[in-house]
Amino acid sequence: MEDFWYEFVEVTQTITDGLLFGSTYALIGVGFTLIFGAMGKLNMAYAAAALGGAYAGLAGFVLIKAPLVLVFGISAVAAAVLGYAIYFVCFRFIPVNNHLAALMASVGGLFFIDEVVVHVTRGSPLTFPSMFGDVFFEIGPYGIRGDLVFVFVIGLISTGILLYILFKTRLGLATRAVAQQDVAARLCGIGVHSTNSVTFAIAGVLGGIAGAMTAAAVGVLSPVMTVPLTIKGIIVAVIGGLGSIPGAIIAGLFVGAFENVFLYFRGIDERDMYVVALLFIFLVFRPNGLFGTAITRD
Amino acid sequence: MKRLFKGVSVGLLGCALMFSALTSSADRSVKVLGWGAQSGPLKSFGVNSETALRSAVAEINAAGGVKLGDGTMVPIEVIGYEDSACKKDQNIAILRKTASTTDAIVAMGTTCSGACQAMFGVLQKKVGDASDSGLQMPMLADTCIRPGLAKISEWAFRNVPNEIDMYDALFAWLSQQHPGIKTFSGGTETDQGHSFITHTKVIVQAAIRHGFEWVGPAVPELGPKVGQGAKELQAATKTQHWLMGDTNYSVQARKIKKQNPDMVLVSSHPFSACGFLKEMKRQRVKPKLLVGLTSSASQETLNGCMKEAEGIIIPTGFAPITPAAQKANEIVSKAGGFLDLHSAAAWENAYLVKAAVEAAGISANPDNLAEDRAKFRNALAGITAAEGLIGPVTRNAEGEASKPYVYVQVVDGKWKVIHDPRG
Repeated sequence: MEDFWYEFVEVTQTITDGLLFGSTYALIGVGFTLIFGAMGKLNMAYAAAALGGAYAGLAGFVLIKAPLVLVFGISAVAAAVLGYAIYFVCFRFIPVNNHLAALMASVGGLFFIDEVVVHVTRGSPLTFPSMFGDVFFEIGPYGIRGDLVFVFVIGLISTGILLYILFKTRLGLATRAVAQQDVAARLCGIGVHSTNSVTFAIAGVLGGIAGAMTAAAVGVLSPVMTVPLTIKGIIVAVIGGLGSIPGAIIAGLFVGAFENVFLYFRGIDERDMYVVALLFIFLVFRPNGLFGTAITRD
Repeated sequence: MKRLFKGVSVGLLGCALMFSALTSSADRSVKVLGWGAQSGPLKSFGVNSETALRSAVAEINAAGGVKLGDGTMVPIEVIGYEDSACKKDQNIAILRKTASTTDAIVAMGTTCSGACQAMFGVLQKKVGDASDSGLQMPMLADTCIRPGLAKISEWAFRNVPNEIDMYDALFAWLSQQHPGIKTFSGGTETDQGHSFITHTKVIVQAAIRHGFEWVGPAVPELGPKVGQGAKELQAATKTQHWLMGDTNYSVQARKIKKQNPDMVLVSSHPFSACGFLKEMKRQRVKPKLLVGLTSSASQETLNGCMKEAEGIIIPTGFAPITPAAQKANEIVSKAGGFLDLHSAAAWENAYLVKAAVEAAGISANPDNLAEDRAKFRNALAGITAAEGLIGPVTRNAEGEASKPYVYVQVVDGKWKVIHDPRG
């Protein structure tokens, strides 16, 4: 009985940790899904831009001793600028129907940003300041990291603001109009390129916050994080349903918990295998994800 | 008029030949080509090795260069330092290109053990074996540290510390210095060959050999011999390991917390070592002692987690403890690099090249390239002892080095030498 109780506590603790850490995946996944929802294209450079923003925030911390709130602000603004630049370089001039070219251009963007970071930092890991890093709630046999609760709350607030922008503002209306039918939107006087570029910038803000949150949660910032976060972000966006923001949030938390449980039971060698298997299962049996609808863009 | 024309022609031809001979003598140099990670997350390793190699070569050249077989003094020329990015295919491609399209007499580098293993495999296994069409190119490695790689080819030589000896001596010393420490556990990054192999085959067994008790998942096959029970250990401990790019270490830290070991092994490169150390701190895991991987005895660890790494002990093949090491450290620092156990080997390798060239009596003439490479290889194989930066370096018949080492510890945010086993 004691063993069962111990195992129960361990598993629920593992799930809790995974859910909390999954909020960083959710934020990255929301960025992927937002851009896909707006343009019907995957921006593979999104996580790289998010971490690029986090590096800019860290530079602010090191160079001007910026307070933590400002570090997160700098990260968000820098990632927004990077997001806009990615739109301009990888999407703006590529014909709308050439999805492969845009995809490959954004893959190039991913590696370019990553290599710039590597060259500037020589690939060295750098300490990233943590908010509430020393806060640790102990509730009976459970322990909950204060910084991950903070990430979770910030994730919820960021997503709430994003949903407000999308559904309660003229910009959001324009974004949704372009996403549904860009020709009709253009005929209504909506600037498709300006709307898309603003969408990339907004997604960048979210990415910058996600990148800074992830770095703060790990406590270290390194280029080795880029590719795993890109993969997790795409998996989250697909499982949640490409284009669905609530889907990305739920899928992010779900993937975080799922991978932690498999790490606990099956170990590091098999953990990612199960996560990718989950992606395949969704692609085969529920290709539109948890909340996605069939793609209706013309 | 005809005679005059002939005379002038012959004179001009003679002048041309003489000028050509003079020019070729003045242009002669011993060419070497290096490579390592110049991109990707392990870039710092390649950059530091390149800086150390070029700095040492500059020192040698400033002192007159190297003496060829005909007595001429010529400089060593680093004709390039390629980016192998720690990728096996890229390493092999660079090695093939170096062997077939350059005048380099020796290839130097490279960063990762897995890449070295793959690359050594395309070299001729045994010198003079006509049935083996492998590349006949001397390769002198500085960083790839996983035990036992040089025996893959007689053309491969390594100047890397012997981790089996280092950890054996470290735990022997720790058992004397810290008699209160009885138990241990730990984790590693499974996607990095050096970390994973060294942890599961070398470090754990060395700790057991010196009386420490493994309190991780039960592995009855574990024992004191190198590699004993390694497969079973790998299988049993897979839930307390991680990957180099991981961002969440909560499960692993909790597992180790539950085992409550006196000593924790963090057999990992700086990024994931720092991530894991930070997670241990968050979860209030407070072992009495931390022991790290040789490759983490570097500036990167201090950049990533100076506070959390406080107290960690690591054996290393370099520390500025001798006048030669201090001088080299100063020169490389001024050149923008950082001398650690890997890049220090790149510095030493430049002097090994000088010694081998002078012992081989090579011509440095591109027409004799294959012969020069073979002579150089034989001379390098014959150098079984040389003076390294912190003491004598010896090499066995398999091309593996035995280097002096010291134990360093992070004290007040800096690496400090806490013990020299040589007394």
